[in-house]
Amino acid sequence: MKSSLLLSSLATIGGLMLAGIGASAAADTTSSKDPAARDYREYLLTVTRPNQLQVIDMASNSLLRSCDIPGPFGSGIMVPATDGKTAYVITNIWEDVVGIDIRNCEITFHAAQSSGNETVKSFQSVAVSQDGQELYTVQNPVRLMSDHYEVLEPRLAVFEIADGVGAQPVRTFPVDRRITKIAATGTGEVILGGGDLQAINPETGEIRLLEPLQNWDRGEQWMTPDAFAMHTQGSQANEYIMPYSTARFTDDEQDMATAEWWWGISRVDLETAESERMEIAPLTEVIMNFVTDPTDDNTLYGVFNSVSKIDISAKTIVKEQPLDHTYYTVNVSRDGNTVYAGGTSSDISVHDAETLEQIASIQLPGDMSTSDMRVAIIHDTAP
Amino acid sequence: MTRHISLAGWLGKRAMVTLLVGLSASPIFAEEGVEILRERCAACHTETTTAEESAYFSRISDQRKTPEGWQMTINRMIHLRGIEIPKEEKRSLVQHLADTQGLAPDETEGFRYLLEQDNNRVEAGIDPDLEQMCARCHSAARVGLQRRTEQEWQYLVNFHMGQFPTTELHAMARDREWYRLAHDELAPKLAERYGLKSEAWEEWLSQEKPLLKGSWRVLGFIPGKGEYDGRMTATPDEDGNGFMLQMKGRYADGSPLEGEGHARVFTGYEWRGTLMLGDVEMRQVLAADAEGETLRGRMFLADSRRLGGEMNAYKDHGGAEILGIQPGYLRLGESGEVTLIGQHLSGEVSLGEGVRVEEVLERSDDRIRMRISAAPEVSPGARDVTVGEATGDSILAVYDRLARLEVEPTNALARVGGNGGQLDKMRVAFRAVGYAAGADGEVGTDDDLRLGYMPADWSIIPADEAAAHEQDAEYAGTIDAHGIFTPGDAGPNPERPKSANNVGRLKAVATVDDGADQLSGESRLLVAVQDYVQRVLD
Ligand code: HEC
Ligand code: HEC
Repeated sequence: MKSSLLLSSLATIGGLMLAGIGASAAADTTSSKDPAARDYREYLLTVTRPNQLQVIDMASNSLLRSCDIPGPFGSGIMVPATDGKTAYVITNIWEDVVGIDIRNCEITFHAAQSSGNETVKSFQSVAVSQDGQELYTVQNPVRLMSDHYEVLEPRLAVFEIADGVGAQPVRTFPVDRRITKIAATGTGEVILGGGDLQAINPETGEIRLLEPLQNWDRGEQWMTPDAFAMHTQGSQANEYIMPYSTARFTDDEQDMATAEWWWGISRVDLETAESERMEIAPLTEVIMNFVTDPTDDNTLYGVFNSVSKIDISAKTIVKEQPLDHTYYTVNVSRDGNTVYAGGTSSDISVHDAETLEQIASIQLPGDMSTSDMRVAIIHDTAP
Repeated sequence: MTRHISLAGWLGKRAMVTLLVGLSASPIFAEEGVEILRERCAACHTETTTAEESAYFSRISDQRKTPEGWQMTINRMIHLRGIEIPKEEKRSLVQHLADTQGLAPDETEGFRYLLEQDNNRVEAGIDPDLEQMCARCHSAARVGLQRRTEQEWQYLVNFHMGQFPTTELHAMARDREWYRLAHDELAPKLAERYGLKSEAWEEWLSQEKPLLKGSWRVLGFIPGKGEYDGRMTATPDEDGNGFMLQMKGRYADGSPLEGEGHARVFTGYEWRGTLMLGDVEMRQVLAADAEGETLRGRMFLADSRRLGGEMNAYKDHGGAEILGIQPGYLRLGESGEVTLIGQHLSGEVSLGEGVRVEEVLERSDDRIRMRISAAPEVSPGARDVTVGEATGDSILAVYDRLARLEVEPTNALARVGGNGGQLDKMRVAFRAVGYAAGADGEVGTDDDLRLGYMPADWSIIPADEAAAHEQDAEYAGTIDAHGIFTPGDAGPNPERPKSANNVGRLKAVATVDDGADQLSGESRLLVAVQDYVQRVLD
């Protein structure tokens, strides 16, 4: 009873969410304790209403600039390019993707996906190839005819980033319905997070199964997982996480009341495109998002009404810090020292990763609501 | 291409059909309706002709629904498809579609609570398929009150996908192939269960519709005011589409009830009235029986549609009838005041075994107020009451002990509101129903004796330990002496942890003194946040 209440409260918010694509983890090794001595700078990116990209300097926890995003708010979902200089944001009620140079707010890319009587939405799905050449979305088209709607098959759309403003797909391939978060791997595939976790080859359209979820075969004892990735906040650990909740029944009756409720994740190493799936902690409270500590892949951070720290091998929440209000999304600094809770309202709560004590709060000019909170890393010139 | 109908033409046709009141699916109406469809809808909904030579409009002609269902669709055509239609024409079109493509009386059974707006309740007995696939967003009754071809049920699924594109991503959708299941599996099932063609509808269409003008004897209940009885006169209005209403009577406490208004009848039996009772605007949603002898349903506050109570009306044919008794129970060995309600009552009053009239306090053809008493040693049970020739079967319950108290609605829903927000609080009116144990002496069995609604003392308590811990009963609202629950203010409450909203999980508790005993009953009450979507039908 209780857990189904928890689940239904998740439903009202729009679902679970989670991690994304490592911005540039492969190239980066320097991680000095002294931020000034590092050869990179980190920027926290998020979108606020009415529709602005906020660029925050993570060294000083201060707002650097606010860039206007064309069109009405989409969902605030975005992906930073590998070089950290451009953020690709879903806007215009999920229909358009724009590329914004975070150093000067310039619009360098704009793909308007709808045309004529065909409305095309991309729910949370935007990714950039690790070589920075291609951009991917999953398109969900519907056609409004004179007296009815037609529902068309979803497809992976491949754009050339060099096509800039006015870009049109150069290739499309059919994919399953219900795909939300996607990410590009070092092996040149695109991870598709939907009913199951899949990978597609964006050259050929060939799809392989990574982790079955809706189709998992764990017997009658386990409930079909409720898996949903809404946020693509871009884990510093170069990984993709699809969180899920499930129940293990303790009798043959599949009795919800006596079942054990669990949080789990499917996790893909974006370098190798190798995946794993596991339960990580008992489902005792709502957690909206998980992100892996880039310095220790056994540690996860999660947020909702608290910031929590999870020890995967012990399958427990080892530390918890209540928050002053609800936060939907979480991220972490490259050195693993600082955890950021964002989304929902207009402030980002900054926490020491060790103690989870709040150490700062960043005020933004508008509400983040469902927006992403991702990290862009720039190696050369400071923006 | 488009033909305009002049206002004078409208009025002329209206006047002509005054004679046909009650036969609402008349050919002249049908002609008007088709004109409107042609002019306002055919630009998108292609017109062709059926094998029977009648006009067929794509999509529109393949579904049947209630007047409210049609109103909702036309509202969507206005808001989302940008059509323009004058108010008068819209009304005529709803009338035409409800008359020619409505639901037969039997087809609305089980779902009338939605039409009656009596829906601060959690729906029960819903097919689990429908519950998860559809009824997580709106009532299952919304589905059950429509009839469509398979193609139309499928188009409806496509409409959801087109209009609410995240439908398949919500909890209880994303763990399955929602679209395929809805389109390929559920739609055909719905077409079987709720298909366009039905015998009930064919029969109703061909049947002569009841005549509803005249004088009606009415009984009912209004939260905060109590039970009432009176008369309602329905006089055909000028345009022949409805009735002018006059209502006059009194509440059980003797205070007067008086009002005027208007009613329209759709599909030959769906009665929709609006009237002012004093300075309060009320709505009536009633269904006539096939013979036009009764109107049954609910009357509620126009601006607070969850607050209302049952209303029943009985046609006055000049014959003697007993229709009710208020209150409908008396304890053995006690005496009390009751009002017998009926029409054309004359002759001697008899109250059944062991019950007698002590004194008639007031008597007219319509009601008899009297003091009655029950002997201490007779057997308890339901008594027939007679006045002259008229009989009220089993309307007076004579009982030994109050054994059980039920609170209605048993699973209630209230919503916070007000506090400067755009939505008012959504209140709930509770009532307590008493039962005696019946002949077997055991409470909770089929032979329990229903005593009727009883006045009670009202309170709220937390639903469980968690709710107690959250102090829900302190914040989520209050209940008054009439059993009306008023939820808390909308918006974050700084006094609550994490400035939570004034939501909560409660129980409404009724307590009744019965002689030396005291008995309680309770119902579940969920206090939720506002629902910003104001729908014609939930
Ligand atoms: C501008 C074009 C347009 C006009 C004019 C129009 N409609 Fe529609 N109608 C649509 C579209 C598009 C749909 C499918 C999407 C939807 O259901 O909202 C539709 C759907 C419908 C449906 C099916 C709804 C369902 O629940 O399956 C009905 C019934 C309908 N219209 C009735 C009407 C009526 C009656 C009028 C005239 C008063 C009208 N329409 C005028 C465009 C139009
Ligand atoms: C995501 C929430 C959602 C789900 C799930 C959903 N509905 Fe609806 N439905 C709506 C909304 C919102 C409308 C109101 C459209 C309007 O404003 O006219 C609606 C309208 C309707 C209508 C009235 C349409 C008309 O014009 O007559 C019917 C019938 C209906 N839904 C049936 C269903 C069925 C059957 C299912 C399951 C297969 C379903 N709904 C699932 C949200 C939902």
